[in-house]
Amino acid sequence: MQLLLEPIIMSTLAEATGKTFWMPEAASSVAGEIDWILEFINIICYVFLALITGVLVWFAIRYRRDPNEHTVSAEGPTHGLALELIWTIIPTGLVVAIFWVGMVGYIDLRESPTDSYEVSVTAQQWSWTFNHPEYGVIEGNELHVPLDRPVRLIMGSTDVLHSLFVPAFRVKQDIVPGRYSTLWFKAIKAGHYQLYCTEYCGKDHSKMLATVYVLPEDEFQAKMGKLASEYEDLPDTDLPVYALTRLYNRCSSCHSLNGDNSTGPSFKGLWDRVETGDTVFTNGKTLKDYMGSGGEFEVPENYIRESILNPGKLVRENYANVMPNNFASQLKPRQVEALVLMMKNLDKLADEGWIDEDGKVQTPEQPAADSSATVDPGATEEGG
Amino acid sequence: MTTLGINPEQPQLVDDNYLNHTRGAWSWLFTLDHKRIGVMYLIAVLSAFFVAGVFALLVRTQLLTPGGTIMDQQQYNQAFTLHGGIMVFLVIIPSVPAALGNFVLPIMLGAKDVAFPRLNLFSFWLWIAGALFFVGALLTGGLDTGWTFYTPYSVDSRPEVGSMGGVIPAVTGAFILGFSSIFTGMNFIVTIHRLRPPGMTWFRMPLFLWGIYATAILQVIATPVLGITLALLAVERAFGIGIFDPTLGGDPVLYQHFFWFYSHPAVYIMILPGMAIISDLIAVHSHRHIFGYKFIAFSSIAIALFSFLVWGHHMFTSGQSALVNVIFSAITFSVAIPSAIKVFNWLATMYKGSISWNTPMLYAMGFIFIFTIGGLTGLHLGTLATDVHLHDTYFVVAHFHYVMMGSALIAMIGGLHHWWPKITGRMYNENWGRLGFVLVFIGFNVTFFSQFMLGSQGMPRRYATYPEDAGFQIYHIYSTAGSYILAIGFFVTAGYLAQSIFGGRRAPANPWGGRSLEWQCSSPPPFDNFSEAPAVGDCYDFSVLEWKSEEEGYVWRSDLARPGEETPAGA
Repeated sequence: MQLLLEPIIMSTLAEATGKTFWMPEAASSVAGEIDWILEFINIICYVFLALITGVLVWFAIRYRRDPNEHTVSAEGPTHGLALELIWTIIPTGLVVAIFWVGMVGYIDLRESPTDSYEVSVTAQQWSWTFNHPEYGVIEGNELHVPLDRPVRLIMGSTDVLHSLFVPAFRVKQDIVPGRYSTLWFKAIKAGHYQLYCTEYCGKDHSKMLATVYVLPEDEFQAKMGKLASEYEDLPDTDLPVYALTRLYNRCSSCHSLNGDNSTGPSFKGLWDRVETGDTVFTNGKTLKDYMGSGGEFEVPENYIRESILNPGKLVRENYANVMPNNFASQLKPRQVEALVLMMKNLDKLADEGWIDEDGKVQTPEQPAADSSATVDPGATEEGG
Repeated sequence: MTTLGINPEQPQLVDDNYLNHTRGAWSWLFTLDHKRIGVMYLIAVLSAFFVAGVFALLVRTQLLTPGGTIMDQQQYNQAFTLHGGIMVFLVIIPSVPAALGNFVLPIMLGAKDVAFPRLNLFSFWLWIAGALFFVGALLTGGLDTGWTFYTPYSVDSRPEVGSMGGVIPAVTGAFILGFSSIFTGMNFIVTIHRLRPPGMTWFRMPLFLWGIYATAILQVIATPVLGITLALLAVERAFGIGIFDPTLGGDPVLYQHFFWFYSHPAVYIMILPGMAIISDLIAVHSHRHIFGYKFIAFSSIAIALFSFLVWGHHMFTSGQSALVNVIFSAITFSVAIPSAIKVFNWLATMYKGSISWNTPMLYAMGFIFIFTIGGLTGLHLGTLATDVHLHDTYFVVAHFHYVMMGSALIAMIGGLHHWWPKITGRMYNENWGRLGFVLVFIGFNVTFFSQFMLGSQGMPRRYATYPEDAGFQIYHIYSTAGSYILAIGFFVTAGYLAQSIFGGRRAPANPWGGRSLEWQCSSPPPFDNFSEAPAVGDCYDFSVLEWKSEEEGYVWRSDLARPGEETPAGA
């Protein structure tokens, strides 16, 4: 059966398709096969549902009792072995067939090609970090992958269960703290696709989203090269925008830009509070206590730096010590510098239109600088 | 014939019945009468259903717009958790066995009560205690883990990122409710084995009893596993013993195995009694001998046994090995067969029947349609390749609502209408009943069918908000609109049922022409059900009855001797 089905499935269905009544657009090598299996099951379901509903309605009407009559006992067959066997054996045969095609499709989903491009994924409440070891690139809530090349994700969690799901690729895998799990896909259509967390992980579960950008090979190489070094080459004046558009998305689920406090304090007005030293900590001290001459934060920028790299050391009053302390391994010194500059310049960034009134990051102008602009809106952002 | 009410030929409405045999709140709260306990369960379960329904409407209203409408993230997480937790543990699991089963089972069997009446009362009070703990979870910090209490989130008590403070009270509540369920199951097993009167052989039992019996086996065998699991969870959260918490060397996936080892059979604890009700409703309201009695009876037992072997299908994406997934997928499909057999037998029962379009039968026919969709969409989820895409999306939400809400609960509502005259001694208004059914049926399908598309298009479950550009909103609007229709349907139903208690026509002993024993005692039944052994026989042989228009009900044929009597009753 496998031999029979595979060539058909593979030859006709390994192509990208648009959104259908049941399924979202298909953009991975396995999606065609999954959709074929789903349609195969659907057809069986349609037939049975029509059959059962048809008979049900037909009998209900045909044998309806006249409300004024009180037929006591209607005569009809009470058993029939042949009938019982027929409606046992036919469904059994069908479910065996469904099981089989489902198993074959599943094995294709699970067995990753040996030459896969590997990305390590860290899931944590409530953001995604994608690490490309080949290029020394770390991305937050965005994942760039090459077109037509198998990609293997090696995934770990720092806190609770998460699950990575890309509907357009028809792949999903839970991420369990304390062990790695893997998932592979081969994207066959350039574009950007929504990635979800599909295992409930607490308060902001529904905000734990990311975008997968599929780029043709040459654009992907260019993009990786750029991501690996862009912040090194940028002039200092562009660092705040770089931090806002490229780094802040990893902070965004806990730190707002519009003054709303959530899991962590808002970044809005943060620099003012740092300068005045009014910030109160859970240990009862205020930032002032650390800021005077000879104090640890005599240079106030050091407080921001320390809060990013060692967040548990001083925790703001009314907040819990829950920020991950692994940013030192994810951020290069110049990226930390960019974040510090971003915080100092938030008002200016807002005035320039980079942040809207709701605290969402915007792209005020659309410079057509990047060749991948059509498929990668993220790429245009850092051009500004 | 001098006995009270059991003479079907003279079914005068007895003045002394179980409702007025003794008076006062005390005589209810500490009654040992299975009928009163059943009624108290019914009130308790329907109250919990109302609360859970309110949470459902909050959830649906929140999802009208992508950014949410009325709640923040944490409030939403609590709303869906309490909706699920209350519906599963407080409503659906006890609804048919504990509420309707308690009332009907001993009478159907021809017994005066269950085998252990005190244990029965204790089960009820355990339900109340469990419910209080569940509500207590709200007051002690809230509950936002989902009804599944997945680790390590549920053992993570850190503020802001960990789960809220009500986990231990809630699992304590579920633990206590588990014992309520176990005791009910034990009681029913012993009752069916030991209290059948002479003549009531296994294969003369109404299929409702077969279904309740299969359910009771599951309750007794599966529920202790839940108890142990939840106890471990509470100890883990309180003391950090390192069973489920990976930072202490524990395994969070182990919890999922334990949890589903109970909770998959629990799905059948919910649906088997529903199927059991439908088997009897279809036969009685078609006035037609059930088709394939033994196939239906044994399919209940087969489902109960298979249900212990399929828990892994909840975990196809959890990281368990591909081989294990393949094995669980294969076994899962085997459960589909006995369910399909039941559906075909129900249809065959309607063939050449005399089908009454009254409210219970409408619910039964609605059940067949909804259960067919619920069962068929199980194929997509049992199939490995498609489950990976559909797992933890709204497709799963739609599927289990078709089975648990649209099938189990609809069957319960159908059964409630079927036995309402027996329980209350009053007839409800049939036209209002039909209207209520139409609203519930349409509302249900609009609410949940749209969720199949929502899920297969990729919308994850347990999301307080969703992306604007994913095309999900239109389905959410359909679904929410449907939920409002459904709510109106239930309010209409509650309205005319309540009205019938005060203003309904007095019910005859046998309004539908049922042949099982509960229709041989008066409506409502006397305190001790039967003063004289009732006429046991083939409970689907309706030819022994005749219509008596002055009664507006069915009575034993006057030209026919009842079993055990020498001459016809009317001679």
